Amino acid sequence: MINLSRSVSAGAPIISEIERRSGQQISACYQCGRCTSTCAGSFAFDYSPHRLMRLLQFGMVEEVLRSRTAQLCLDCMTCSLRCPMSIDVAAVIDTAKAIADEMGFKDTERDLRLFRRGFLKNVRRHGRLHEAGLLSWFNIRTRKFTNDLSLVPLLMRKKKIHVVPPRIRNKHEMRRIFREINGAGKPR
Amino acid sequence: MTDYSYFPGCSLASSAMEYDASFRLVSEVFGIGLDELEDWTCCGASPAPHHWGGELGILLPARNLHIAGRSHPAVVAPCAGCYNRLKYAQYELRRNQQLRERVAQVLREPVRYETEVVNLIEMFNREIDPAALAARAQGRLEEISLATYYGCVLTRPAEIVNFDDPNDPVMMEPLLRAAGATITHFPFKSECCGSYMGLAKKEIVFRASRQIIETALESGADAIVTVCPLCHQNLDLRQRQINFAWDTDFELPVLYFSQVIGLALGASPEELGIDSHAVSADKLLVKIKKTANR
Repeated sequence: MINLSRSVSAGAPIISEIERRSGQQISACYQCGRCTSTCAGSFAFDYSPHRLMRLLQFGMVEEVLRSRTAQLCLDCMTCSLRCPMSIDVAAVIDTAKAIADEMGFKDTERDLRLFRRGFLKNVRRHGRLHEAGLLSWFNIRTRKFTNDLSLVPLLMRKKKIHVVPPRIRNKHEMRRIFREINGAGKPR
Repeated sequence: MTDYSYFPGCSLASSAMEYDASFRLVSEVFGIGLDELEDWTCCGASPAPHHWGGELGILLPARNLHIAGRSHPAVVAPCAGCYNRLKYAQYELRRNQQLRERVAQVLREPVRYETEVVNLIEMFNREIDPAALAARAQGRLEEISLATYYGCVLTRPAEIVNFDDPNDPVMMEPLLRAAGATITHFPFKSECCGSYMGLAKKEIVFRASRQIIETALESGADAIVTVCPLCHQNLDLRQRQINFAWDTDFELPVLYFSQVIGLALGASPEELGIDSHAVSADKLLVKIKKTANR
């Protein structure tokens, strides 16, 4: 339910920030719903893409920043391709996700966030993704020890995953890239 | 024939090694030289652009683009994800002076970003003459129907990647047709497979990929053809999980574009790594016409 009593004004600065970073004009959406009808992930969302746009139009930022939608968007960009107003809906959602991270809204879809963080930690350490390392790290952290284990025998037999991580020569440069970005060099 | 810098990316060096093998095999047959980028790293994939204001999503591909700038005028990135990230970094670097300075500061050299970035379909279309392929293929694929699957990031966003029609991509077709194959009417050719959700949010992959497999089967295809290792993982490696989740009994092989071209050239399924897939391609392989020489 949309609560009109606490809308528009409170969220205004964040909405301008979303518009600025994504380069999109949120008021341009006229709620035709085509984004939602083409969305491969919306069945798992709490707000379908056009509803998320509507929430932003009403200034209901917190709902958007806490939403599963912002975390689960696949960034396949089908909505952006099909929007009759040429709104890059995926960019709006993606920007909301980034701002949610920065503002510390970290309670939704924790496993998925953990996966993304684990991926980057893995790349930071090895330079290239070490798939076996990411799988075992993720399963241990989430305590889902049997997650995807059924896929491992085939991958091992065909030598498609490796116990030993990949190596690059210029590890220092990789570390430096990560360090320069967030100061501490560790994915949040 | 031209030589290309080659950016394999993490998948082709590991879980998609058959993609690498078949790509190299076809390139060699047509005399296309591939120079693997020295000391390449991850392109940033999906997670990097969403962290720290997106800067990492530029820096990681920019570093690889910078390395590519040392050698050939074009770099080929067969993985659709890597291709998209390289194009994206290039697009941003071209239009943003501040960003160029920032990247140069981190790389400690002025960044080279003008190397042309091409995907595998683009490179094959440019370097392989359909008539020459037809002559070598000798109709080997004439009994085979294929659903060409392009996925998301190969053609989107159109203004950045500038490849094919994002609504109705067709660029795989000329060479596949030259090899004798029939292309089915496959309306899910640019739908999303569920992306990187396979590990943490399986139900999204199960639903999205199920629809793709189902539609491909309905179209009468013997196999799905893809150029994306992540799509391949979701559609092939996870096909049994999908069957389990939905109580279906799909058994639809998923082949890389380069593997299909390799089959047309008469290469063996083993050379092309088709035997490393989760779903057996035996039913398709028996339809390949036995013709004289390679």
